[in-house]
Amino acid sequence: MSYLTVSNAMKRFGPEFMALNGVSVAVERGEFFTLLGPSGCGKTTLLRSIAGFNDLTSGDITLDGANLRIVPPHQRDIGMVFQDYAVFPHLSVFENVAFGLKPRKVPAAEIKTRVTQALDAVRLGAMADRLPAAMSGGQQQRIGLARAMVIKPRLLLMDEPLSNLDAKLRIELREEIRDIQKQVDIATIYVTHDQEEALAISDRICVMNAGRIEQVGTPPEIYGDPQTRFVAEFVGTLNTFAPGAALDAMLSQLGLSLPGATVWTARPERLGLAARGGDTGGAATLEGTIAKFTYLGREAHVQVETPAGLVVVQIANPGMTLTHQPGEQVSVLVPREALMAFGADNIRIGG
Amino acid sequence: MPRLNFWTVVMILTWLMLFVLLFIPVGSVLTASFYDQQGNVTIANYLKFLSEPRFHQAFFNTLVVGFGGLFGALLLGSIMAFCVSRFVIRGGKFVSLLAILALVSPPFIGAYSWIVLFGAGGVVRGFLRDMGINMPPIYGVGGILIVFSLKFYPYVYLMVSGALSNVNRSLEEAAEGLGLTPWQRTMKISFPMVFPALTAGGLLALIQAIADFGTPRLLGRGYNVLATEAFTLYSAEVGSNMSMATTISVVLILVSMVFVMLQRYVSRRNVYHGNMINKPIRIQLKGWRNVLAHFAVYFIGLCGALPVIISVIYSFRKTSGPVFQDGFALQSYERILFGLGDVVRNSLTFSMAAVALIVIVGTVVGVLVARRTNFNTALLDGAFMVPYVMPGIVIGIAFIAAFNTGPIVLTGTATIIILSIFIRRLPYTVRTTASSLRQISPSMEEAAISLGYSPFQAFLRITVPLIVPGIIAGGMLSFVTAINELSSSLVLYVGSTMTMPVRIYLLILDGDFGVAAALSTILLLLSGCAVYIAFRFMGRNEQALL
Repeated sequence: MSYLTVSNAMKRFGPEFMALNGVSVAVERGEFFTLLGPSGCGKTTLLRSIAGFNDLTSGDITLDGANLRIVPPHQRDIGMVFQDYAVFPHLSVFENVAFGLKPRKVPAAEIKTRVTQALDAVRLGAMADRLPAAMSGGQQQRIGLARAMVIKPRLLLMDEPLSNLDAKLRIELREEIRDIQKQVDIATIYVTHDQEEALAISDRICVMNAGRIEQVGTPPEIYGDPQTRFVAEFVGTLNTFAPGAALDAMLSQLGLSLPGATVWTARPERLGLAARGGDTGGAATLEGTIAKFTYLGREAHVQVETPAGLVVVQIANPGMTLTHQPGEQVSVLVPREALMAFGADNIRIGG
Repeated sequence: MPRLNFWTVVMILTWLMLFVLLFIPVGSVLTASFYDQQGNVTIANYLKFLSEPRFHQAFFNTLVVGFGGLFGALLLGSIMAFCVSRFVIRGGKFVSLLAILALVSPPFIGAYSWIVLFGAGGVVRGFLRDMGINMPPIYGVGGILIVFSLKFYPYVYLMVSGALSNVNRSLEEAAEGLGLTPWQRTMKISFPMVFPALTAGGLLALIQAIADFGTPRLLGRGYNVLATEAFTLYSAEVGSNMSMATTISVVLILVSMVFVMLQRYVSRRNVYHGNMINKPIRIQLKGWRNVLAHFAVYFIGLCGALPVIISVIYSFRKTSGPVFQDGFALQSYERILFGLGDVVRNSLTFSMAAVALIVIVGTVVGVLVARRTNFNTALLDGAFMVPYVMPGIVIGIAFIAAFNTGPIVLTGTATIIILSIFIRRLPYTVRTTASSLRQISPSMEEAAISLGYSPFQAFLRITVPLIVPGIIAGGMLSFVTAINELSSSLVLYVGSTMTMPVRIYLLILDGDFGVAAALSTILLLLSGCAVYIAFRFMGRNEQALL
């Protein structure tokens, strides 16, 4: 049995809305497990059910084999990091971090060493005596992290901890969170709507949509082998080819035919560009006209108007010379392995 | 779940309290207005109100002083707010202090000080007469309007200066970039931005002016308004007419209800939260413009604070009986010390008792309203609106109507005065507690719970320390209101429960202004201390005084 299990969780808000509609997940010891999905998908509801802040309508949660739903939230021994930091403004940084050790009857000397260690781990050792009010968001969230970690909880929950920070700090702090989690080896459930963050930080990702689980897998599985159209579209970007003669011709070029496949897609970075009539390297081609060229430094996005709709091609490392002008005639190269097909029910076919 | 039970009990007790202290008194007023003196059910009182010219006059006069006070306060308040927030004014803090002084001094002291200066035997009037200038005495509607304008301008000033300093300068710069002249910029950008604050402050002044009793009573000289009419009918020694007094109270409640609703509606739309990236700067004026701006600000500020200054000076003047002599002495204070100690003591104990009740009950009910949102608490929130629309004089009459006979008899006790202050101020505390609780993110308590504290412990250790400074500050401001309360106490007092404002009012009627001034000075000192403590706890926030 896994360390944390949630089975068939249902949560109803009001008479109609099902925030969780039959969710089952299993998290292993020491694992970094991410709940990823758009807002309103149920990820925060699931996290708060595990923390005990709202109970499930039905379903089971076990931690280390024991039923968690009958334990009141303050006895669950689960650390939590909040989106708005929830740092206590009337307590110093040290007191904030020591706050959870007091009800655990930890001796004063040990409190001092443990808090100091935790603050050093989040690089706030020098600020122990300051009040948090004037500190930056990143620093406040570090306090939140140290405070949740220092009690050595059985489980660490993080509810979009980085979403209020600016982009650069977000990347910096997510690396730190990842490192610290590996170091303390506490199973962690992390909620985010940022797919890049989820890919960067997780051992496994659980993609949720409308109260249900779409797919659970490692980051490469989620990105490279999405099992539903929702996952493919939510994680990364996706070209969806318009059905019609152009798409049929392209599929027959590749000799592809999948019964039941109604939607054909490809990721932009798996496509290529060639001059009309140039070498295709075995890939199918779509003739088109360049609509827009966007240079982004380490990559460039090229929008090409084709008979199968507007297709975005991502070119890695475009350099100084590789530019395209709108109106230019090109061929979009579609390799066979770039194509992902989905059935009418949006489930992957032939993956 | 024991916690749920606790809140259910609180809910029941709150309703019970509202029932006894609010619905029964208001109900008594309403029913009493439908009975005649002999105890027969009738609508004759209302017919009388509609038919008798005296009452028409009172109704009309109430609206005149109400709107007059509104416009006076708007004029003075917005001039002062505009100058202070847009131009460099030397001693700006001092000007704000003058506004606070005007705000915390009881209005009837203002009325009397103006009589001292401009009344029939007024000092300034006498001086001008010696110089050959004959000006009319200040009595009548003109005097009332002057006092109201100077007393209530701080409502507008504090609201509007707050709004003006929140107008993002980028907006005006954008308008400038679009080619608007300074005048157009003011009218099209700044004015709409502060308009909600203007109307909200003005309506506050209007509501206060309608409810005020002391000023028209002392300055009116026959200029009757609804509040004085109700008191006269109630207190007439021969032929006290309770049923007519209650009828007028009902009319007064209805009038002020209209404006309170209007005020609530307007303040709800007061939502221009500018981001404060580009704060407005103050311009240094030059030449005569600078002189004019300073003159306007200091003239308004000093006139508003003049009653206070006069009271303080006169309290130290030498007296012989009620007559002032040349020179200074502490006689007035001696007379308080040896003759009026019980009045001061009454005021202090009543106010402290009321404030203690307000703080405890207000906090618990505030938590209830903020944290247990369901139909009942929404209703409760609505019920707390009722004391807002009750002028003090009406609360007094209502308490007499409810607790003179019947199962609970409280007339003539200290309890009835304390409870009347308590119920009037309670809504403010409930609202401020509820709103400060709503500002504390619920994740704060959840964090404490996840760290191993029970929900009640989390509330006690996290939420309570965060709201306590606000509660203390609110309590201090309630103390200011409580200790300055005149109109309801005037209806409810007996010899042994006399308070300082009542005594001051009676002393002024007796013409003993030396002692009245000394008592006023003590009152002012106590209010000042309370405001100072409040500002210490929540930062200098003049708007909290509104």
